[in-house]
Amino acid sequence: MNTLTTTAEDHRIAWLAALAITIHIAESALPSPLPGIKPGLANMVTIATLCIYGLRTTAWVMLLRVVAGSLLLGTFLSPTFTLSFSGALASLLVLTVAHLLPAIRFGAVGYSLLAAMGHMSGQFAVAYWLFIPHPALLHLFPILMTAAVLFGLVSGIIVATMLKRIP
Amino acid sequence: MKPALVTRADWLVIVASLALLPWLYATFWSSDDTAADKVHIIVDGKELPPISLHQDRKLTIRGSIGTSTLQIEQGRIRFVHSPCQGQQCVHSGWLSHNGEFAACLPNRIALQLSGGAARFDTFIY
Repeated sequence: MNTLTTTAEDHRIAWLAALAITIHIAESALPSPLPGIKPGLANMVTIATLCIYGLRTTAWVMLLRVVAGSLLLGTFLSPTFTLSFSGALASLLVLTVAHLLPAIRFGAVGYSLLAAMGHMSGQFAVAYWLFIPHPALLHLFPILMTAAVLFGLVSGIIVATMLKRIP
Repeated sequence: MKPALVTRADWLVIVASLALLPWLYATFWSSDDTAADKVHIIVDGKELPPISLHQDRKLTIRGSIGTSTLQIEQGRIRFVHSPCQGQQCVHSGWLSHNGEFAACLPNRIALQLSGGAARFDTFIY
């Protein structure tokens, strides 16, 4: 019989992804004042992962969360998934660039803000190009970005505080 | 040494993003609170001929997952029913001002109000 050998990193990714998925699903039960606005609490797992384990683990955790989370919520391959996935990709792209920049050392707050804004911009761009290519949608963009900055800042501060307490 | 709670690069990001927001509002958010008189309905990316808001009526529009019902009444319009899960279009409520916008993303129906942009109510000679 074949056994699948798993590494410590695999286990770590699975644990972190499970945590992110749980938060993602719990959050989907919260009411939202405007489509597209939500606290993005699962972002905290992403940022903490990035600060502790680096880019590779973060990419895995993020993509697993979006795909497995959508399977559990029943939104896989629906417009919701498309938006969520493009947001995750955009934020991953921004985080990759920020992480690889030499000589600049971002902390949790900087990463969190960049990720939140990247997520929102990517998601918005796809919503605009794919679903409703109409200039009126652009009116919503500043409001959505305000929410992204606000929630990105708050979750960044939470992660930074948490990381300080980890020995 | 413990890392700082907020690094210098973090402050840079915070300041930059806070500076970005007013610019976004100035660029994308131009309010226009005059009453609209036409509605433009966009179905699956294609715009239908504009419809007057001054004639009360009900519209049924076939989108990509079913039929949505719109109601026009006293210069305003709303989604009455849509076959989507979130019902965000229905919760948008009545729209009556120039530039207002509501959409049912799953059904790919969007509507925007326009017109009534005249700068003067009447001319007297």
